[in-house]
Amino acid sequence: MYSFLRGTGKGLALLLMSFNLQAAPPNLVVYTYDSFTSEWGPGPQVKVAFEAKCACTLELVGLSDGVAMLNRLRLEGANSRADILLGLDTNLTAEARASGLFEPHRLKLQASALPGPWRDDTFLPYDFGYFAFVYNREKLTSPPASLRQLVDDANGASILIQDPRTSTPGLGLLLWMKAVFGDEADQAWARLSPRVVTVSKGWSEAYGLFLKGEADMVLSYTTSPAYHIIAEQDSRYAAAPFSEGHYQQIEVAGMLRSSRQKQLAGEFLEFMLSEDFQKIIPTTNWMYPAVAGDTLLPAEFAELIDPSPALLLEETQVARERKAWVDEWLEVMSQ
Amino acid sequence: MSRRFPAFLVLALLAFMVLAPMAGLLNLGSLPGYEMTDLRFWESAYLRRVFFFSVWQALLSALLSVLPAILVARAFALQPDLPLRRALLRLFALPLVVPAVVAVMAVVSVYGSDGWLPLGRSLYGLNGILIAHVFFNLPLAVRLLLPQWQAIPRHHWLLAEQLGMNSWQRWRFLEWPMLREALPGVVLLVFMLCLTSFAVVLTLGGGPRSTTLEVAIYQSLRFDFDPARAVVLALLQLGLCLLVAVVTLKLQRLPEVEIADSATPTPITALHKALDIALILAATVYVGMPLLSVLIDALDGPVLSVLSSATLWRSIANTLLIGLSAALLSVSAGWFLLRYSAGLAYAGHTRGARLVDLAGSIVYVVPPLVIGTGMFVLLSPHVDVFDWVFPIVISINALMGLPFVIRCLGPAMRQNHARYHRLCLSIALLGWHRFRYLEWPLLRRPLGLAIALVTVLAMGDLGVIALFGSPASATLALLIYQQLGAYLIPQAAVTAMLLLLLCLAVYALLERLIGGNSDATY
Repeated sequence: MYSFLRGTGKGLALLLMSFNLQAAPPNLVVYTYDSFTSEWGPGPQVKVAFEAKCACTLELVGLSDGVAMLNRLRLEGANSRADILLGLDTNLTAEARASGLFEPHRLKLQASALPGPWRDDTFLPYDFGYFAFVYNREKLTSPPASLRQLVDDANGASILIQDPRTSTPGLGLLLWMKAVFGDEADQAWARLSPRVVTVSKGWSEAYGLFLKGEADMVLSYTTSPAYHIIAEQDSRYAAAPFSEGHYQQIEVAGMLRSSRQKQLAGEFLEFMLSEDFQKIIPTTNWMYPAVAGDTLLPAEFAELIDPSPALLLEETQVARERKAWVDEWLEVMSQ
Repeated sequence: MSRRFPAFLVLALLAFMVLAPMAGLLNLGSLPGYEMTDLRFWESAYLRRVFFFSVWQALLSALLSVLPAILVARAFALQPDLPLRRALLRLFALPLVVPAVVAVMAVVSVYGSDGWLPLGRSLYGLNGILIAHVFFNLPLAVRLLLPQWQAIPRHHWLLAEQLGMNSWQRWRFLEWPMLREALPGVVLLVFMLCLTSFAVVLTLGGGPRSTTLEVAIYQSLRFDFDPARAVVLALLQLGLCLLVAVVTLKLQRLPEVEIADSATPTPITALHKALDIALILAATVYVGMPLLSVLIDALDGPVLSVLSSATLWRSIANTLLIGLSAALLSVSAGWFLLRYSAGLAYAGHTRGARLVDLAGSIVYVVPPLVIGTGMFVLLSPHVDVFDWVFPIVISINALMGLPFVIRCLGPAMRQNHARYHRLCLSIALLGWHRFRYLEWPLLRRPLGLAIALVTVLAMGDLGVIALFGSPASATLALLIYQQLGAYLIPQAAVTAMLLLLLCLAVYALLERLIGGNSDATY
């Protein structure tokens, strides 16, 4: 109904404007993913906080995920209404950059909380996290201590994972395996495969099945237990620390070259790195803020595991090899 | 009055809605930078496996759904006085609207390791897929087959009784010939539904060894961003369905129809009655258990806090708007198609009639993702797509509902036409008057079923809305996904229950308003 009304509303607005040429406040359009815009995501709070500063309206458009956003922008090209894209991760930045749709941000990430230096001149990080296998302490008393142990222990824990073709954590595990096992990743997958209960389309299905008790562990984030601790006062869930380190996910935003309000878009990116935005992240997106600050993290985050060393493959290598790696995974897993 | 013109218009619209987006995508595929990846289908072991697995699981699912459904529908038909019969039949319309992710969780609640009937690890694989598909499609097949019994004329039952026919003979000479008209279409519909199943297959299938063509299409369009490959795979899926359609419809026999009022069959032995009731009970337990688990999970959750959210009520409004509009559009289009095909069948052009029906049904297997993305490609250079989210979502949902309309309304309209067409011509009962005084009273019951079914179907749809989604256009199904994505699993359970209850209410209301107040519910 809203869209219908808005369509008509627009016509009416045009009509009124011909009588009254008063300038409306500018409208900044941000493409992002669904869970960012949802009632429980960072979206609503971010909107209020930014609009209080900018004398503009912030329109958050939720699409299903990073891949969908990028495809959408490619289809829209220069006609896109979007000024900002928020919600890609570093596995997609190489492709996004190559599309030529983005504008350099000309900002500096100060007081970065990321484990490594940030050198990207097109995209800026707003949060990050680490993939991990989450388990229920009451049900699994001795979780594997390394990815290698998880893979090699034939009587080890059963796991739920996501499909790398349809899900970000799924792709994260694929890269994690590559980072640890290199060219022998396919053999490692073959050894792990018997303990994979199922491979779901998205994170939600796998996590839901895990909470229903379908497997010992689920592929998620090191920060997932924080949700249960803070929102449910439940400390049964924990992430298993792996000695090889944990694969990282860094979520970024960038400004569109086709944007007609680059000044305002730049202000939004700056706001994104400010405390007002960053403090919203931990308890809505359940990730680490990209900017360091003592007051940004709730105390409960101190109970989470130390995921170091942080693993991250080169974005150009990922862009180049992703398809071949997924095909390899498909061949092994569909045996 | 021409019956041909509106039908041709609908057919042209259908063709346009399916082919134009595909052409748009193919055109994109020829742009620089969009190189089509390797399509030597038969050389890729993976795609070959995907193809065979898709067909195999869809065939098995169709057989396991439709064969028991015949027995259950017969039991319902022969027990018209069963208590709660109407409520049970309404319950049977519900599985169809359960969003895939909720259905997966419900199936796991029942058959998972901590479930009521634990199957453990063996749930994941073909078992899980079949359990879920039968849960979706057995009740649907029951609903679609049941009206065939109603079409058996009263004097046939009386004659059978006088001749002392036993149950088997009645089945062989009365019921089977009537059933044969609807059966192939229902098998084809269920086959198509299972062929295009996505989240159920991926999640309960245990991994990529159970991948369907639909997943491969999704991968091409989303992950690889290779629109041309997606279109080729979609055409392959369409071709496969056409092949299956040709085979199944060859088995179809259109019965000779007599002018007679229908009636419920005569009573039968106590043993038979007990058997029928046992069958109905078994089917109800099978269908009811996962639905019950949705209810139990929800009542455990924060019902009041979910109910007090403004987002929920906005989603409910959007869901109703999409469902009702899609149903109206779908049933109108189906009406014109079926009126034309009924005329063709009456004039002896059986093949032409089948072709028209088939054209309306087969569009279902073109993945909404392909149509939606293609429409986006066509529209976005010219209009602001955000203002078109609802019209697009509604029209795609109407398209996806069309095969259901054809299954619900087709047999009844054909019988109606055969019985009364000549009479109408002779008394010059034409146009609006024919609809008002003849077709409406006789067809309102299947019409009500069709509208109710397509409404709830569109209400539960996620695929299309997620493609264009923006914060204002959330539906209940999308809300469930958003809640699940934000760790809010108890809230999602509550929303899932509300979606089910809303569907049940809308279904009952529409069926009553349009179908009329009759004891014999289909």
